[in-house]
Amino acid sequence: MRLKRVFHEQIFMTLFLLLVCVSLQCQCRESEFNYVTCGSLVKLLNIKHNVRLHSHDVKYGSGSGQQSVTGVEVPDDANSYWRIRGKPNAPCQRGVAIKCGQSIRLTHMNTGRNLHTHHFVSPLSGNQEVSAFGENGEGDDLDVWAVQCSGIHWERDDDVRFKHVGTDVFLSITGEQYGHPIKGQREVHGMSSANYNNYWRTMEGVFIKPSAEPLRHDEL
Amino acid sequence: MASRRLSLNSACCLLLYFVAAVLAGRDFYKILGVSKSASIKDIKKAYRKLALQLHPDRNPDDPQAQDKFQDLGAAYEVLSDEEKRKQYDAYGEEGLKEGHHSSHGDIFSSFFGDFGFMFGGNPRQQDRNIPRGNDIVLDLEVTLEEVYSGNFVEVVRNKPVAKEAPGKRKCNCRQEMRTTQLGPGRFQMTQEVVCDECPNVKLVNEERTLEVEIEQGVRDDMEYPFIGEGEPHIDGEPGDLRFRIKVMKHPVFERRGDDLYTNVTISLAEALVGFEMDITHLDGHKVHILRDKITKPGAKLWKKGEGLPNFDNNNIRGSLIVTFDVDFPREQLTEQQREGIKQLLKQKPLQKVYNGLQGY
Repeated sequence: MRLKRVFHEQIFMTLFLLLVCVSLQCQCRESEFNYVTCGSLVKLLNIKHNVRLHSHDVKYGSGSGQQSVTGVEVPDDANSYWRIRGKPNAPCQRGVAIKCGQSIRLTHMNTGRNLHTHHFVSPLSGNQEVSAFGENGEGDDLDVWAVQCSGIHWERDDDVRFKHVGTDVFLSITGEQYGHPIKGQREVHGMSSANYNNYWRTMEGVFIKPSAEPLRHDEL
Repeated sequence: MASRRLSLNSACCLLLYFVAAVLAGRDFYKILGVSKSASIKDIKKAYRKLALQLHPDRNPDDPQAQDKFQDLGAAYEVLSDEEKRKQYDAYGEEGLKEGHHSSHGDIFSSFFGDFGFMFGGNPRQQDRNIPRGNDIVLDLEVTLEEVYSGNFVEVVRNKPVAKEAPGKRKCNCRQEMRTTQLGPGRFQMTQEVVCDECPNVKLVNEERTLEVEIEQGVRDDMEYPFIGEGEPHIDGEPGDLRFRIKVMKHPVFERRGDDLYTNVTISLAEALVGFEMDITHLDGHKVHILRDKITKPGAKLWKKGEGLPNFDNNNIRGSLIVTFDVDFPREQLTEQQREGIKQLLKQKPLQKVYNGLQGY
């Protein structure tokens, strides 16, 4: 009798575990839409300073004189949208999740310029100047950044770092503020040390899900 | 006598059965106009087409328009969900579990944005006084395969939405001139910022899923707008989200309007002797080519109906134009081969000199 009961309990246990596994899988599937994917349009929030990565048709008055990149406090400015794209000449497939360590470009939606850094000094803090460069999404090799996160894919609620491929600096903010005409906006620059100033997270945006393959009529 | 009564009975039973079957539930496949084995893509396409046709705003004279539209929404809701479709196929409409039914409005707006846009679209022009949030334009890269067969893209839109908050805030701030009297006959004009008081709002991030269709034959830079899905404006209405189609380059086919161009390199022997080949098209089907005549370098072959579907009428297709070029042998020929060829071709030396750039 006892043996039978133990046996029953074992079956029950396995079924229960199976159910848990299956439901966990299902949960994974539901929030599978938690990935940041190629082609998505996102706003990036700097965790420490609570401002969003932003650009606009205002050029730096020093350094390279290219289009400036700043951090803004307001959450509803369309000039804070950036599109996630692959490296030059290596487009990523639309809807595919970005892997941790993958190289990407961030293209500013409204001006079509890419997040860019180079050996120029930033105006307020003396770090490395970060600008928006290029035309219609095409700039040069200094537009490429590697996404650093723990895990396999970049998830929407991850705190990630962006390390520049080429000069090895991290996209950061340390709190310096501009005056007129962009009063209150923070300076965005590149710094070589990895610290709490270079963590970013995706906020608002349009996240593209992977599509099914279009219909095929393969003949035998 | 008894047999006739029995057959009458059975006839009545049959009639009752049919009536019951009809009343038991709607035929969702018939409502959408698709076969029972239709793919989810066909169902989405059918829904999209019929939703535009059957919308009550488009059929103001039809008293049953609202019902037909509701039926359509119910049909799509069931057939687009794998689980629900299985249950429906097995047990009919009655057999569907009472679960959460998303309102038809939700389904419709996730496909088309707001109703206003599709029908007339005039309301937008009257809002010169209402401030509007920024528009968002997303470049959507599509492949030529998707232009040929069509596809759907689902996106998750996370955006700030204005919600009520306790207290008041200042809104509609403007500059006004104030006149103050300093003494008899002496006035001072000053500029002042004057605001109204409005209920306080805060911005809260919300998410919803939207779906945009890549229609067959879609052209570069065509836009699919979703009204109100852009950036919010705290004192007014939100801007729009627009998907702008960008057709990517293809390694095999080049698009010109509805026509497709491709190139094939053949060997010298094939050019002289003829050949048979298949070109794999964008959706996998094979285009057969059979040549039994000599093919000159630069020769073009027109395959009607093998181009892209026309955007306005999917039944019209462009052509596929195949241009052949000939690969000459890489290695130099041996003496024996040279003699052999002279014998085979029996050509006298030609060597005609002329001005090729002026059409002589």
